[in-house]
Amino acid sequence: MTNRTILVDYLTRVEGESALDLRISDGRVTSARLNVFEPPRFFEALLRGRGYAETPDIVARICGICPIAYQMSAVHAIENAFGVTVEGQLRALRRLIYCGEWIESHALHVVMLHAPDYLGFPDAIQMAREHGDLVRSALALKKTGNELMRVLGGREIHPVNVKAGGFYRPPTRAELAPVAENLARARETAVRLVRWVATFPFPQFERDYEFVALRHPGEYPFNEGRLVSNRGIDIDISDYETHFEERHVAHSTALHSSIKQRGAYLVGPLARYALNFDRLPESVQGLAREAGLGPVCRNPFQSIIVRSLELVYACEEALRLIGAYEPPAIAAVPVVPRAGTGFGCTEAPRGICWHRYQFDATGTISSVRIVPPTSQNQPSIEADLAAAATSVLDQPDEVIRHHCEQTIRNYDPCISCSTHFLKLSVHRT
Amino acid sequence: MVGLGNPDRGDDGIGALVARELAGKVPADVAVIARRGDLLSLIEDWAGFDAIVCIDAAAALGLPGRIHRIDLSSAALPRDLAFTSSHALGLAEAIELARSLQLAPRRIIVYAVEGGSFGRGASLTPAVAAALGVVVERVIAEVARLR
Repeated sequence: MTNRTILVDYLTRVEGESALDLRISDGRVTSARLNVFEPPRFFEALLRGRGYAETPDIVARICGICPIAYQMSAVHAIENAFGVTVEGQLRALRRLIYCGEWIESHALHVVMLHAPDYLGFPDAIQMAREHGDLVRSALALKKTGNELMRVLGGREIHPVNVKAGGFYRPPTRAELAPVAENLARARETAVRLVRWVATFPFPQFERDYEFVALRHPGEYPFNEGRLVSNRGIDIDISDYETHFEERHVAHSTALHSSIKQRGAYLVGPLARYALNFDRLPESVQGLAREAGLGPVCRNPFQSIIVRSLELVYACEEALRLIGAYEPPAIAAVPVVPRAGTGFGCTEAPRGICWHRYQFDATGTISSVRIVPPTSQNQPSIEADLAAAATSVLDQPDEVIRHHCEQTIRNYDPCISCSTHFLKLSVHRT
Repeated sequence: MVGLGNPDRGDDGIGALVARELAGKVPADVAVIARRGDLLSLIEDWAGFDAIVCIDAAAALGLPGRIHRIDLSSAALPRDLAFTSSHALGLAEAIELARSLQLAPRRIIVYAVEGGSFGRGASLTPAVAAALGVVVERVIAEVARLR
């Protein structure tokens, strides 16, 4: 009996701290585990007793790369609980700031974290020596996303301008004008990226995922919609807990999510794309076809193409929103707290980020539940690992290791977000 | 002149404090900036400069307040010394990337001050606070040499 164990003690080019543990026995993969050892964050506990007004600023700190996702899910949940609706230009500004986040997050991942895998480079620094022009353009693209977040959010990291009801200070048209100029260039770079990544060598690898994403009657989803899947789920976001559950697993400080009675599912760009292709503008659909994709993509290695397409979409959508922008009459809709429960679910770059808050009559939080996208993807990541490793079992360990690392990076995992605990038990033996 | 680090993390604030002390003490054609967190954006800032002096805290190596001068034209910055995050770029990676993209200045000098403690919300430890004035003077002299 031959046993092989492939361990990667510390995964690089993923956000956060995790490790890979793969066990092979007699030519079969017996175990594929993404061990997450990022310390648990306890945000759901520390939010108890905090007020609704400070919640957006607290949850922004769950993630340095996707603070807007947490802020948007939080403010929508607060407004849902208190019976507030945000429409018009304030609603548009929320989509606009989300465009900024998708741009900076996707640009970083596509070029700096993921592309090196396909081209055989150990990191982006080595890759930059041969593809300097493209890396420089991608850095400028990322910078434009950050600029958009700064103009709307007040600063790039942990924005300060978002509140329940709207914003503390909406931007002027003059503030947005230079951003629009940069976005036009950014869009060209994004189109170049789509065409570049489409030429990468892709393993022939597909799995029949259950995709889960928001779906909206009129737009590619950011902040609003129903929760749908390609296997029949079609629910209001408030019904999330009747269909989805989280559980602890021994090897991970990140919780694992599953669909009740069914199991693993997938959120993020591939899911959004599969469930909302018809909501993309023709310009993006055409680029997808040019890149060799149909309306659904089941090859996780081609997620890099889908992220690049979403980069084009975010640039186009941002330009459209800025073009139509008129400063709103008020910075924020008035918010009056009341006792109740509110739900928010928005599409972070990595997938749906679902929040539930219970408030007392003064708007103080009595309980919270936050489900980040990467913890929802954990079981799919591990299932992909087992399948991907199986496909290269006859190769040397080094090849298997690299293939598995690339498989994990397909998900652009945000490990720091995915570690949250409901209960903590310590067993010493 | 770039002061790196997080002023809310004890001795990690040395870089920002040096930047603040340097204001008005260096010629007008010397840019003085403070940066924290991800250094990717720094690469854009560097293009067009002839030289850079970085001031950053270093992990404790035995003597808090000890000042290390590293001239990157003759020595490399140890990757581990500047490791800040698995996702964001540390100083060593940022410099290497800038060099790969031909965006790095000719001369890069790093002043790394050994920290004693990086507590949340803490101010500088006494040994590092005592080194602040010395670092400022050495950077002023460095800038004069580089010009």
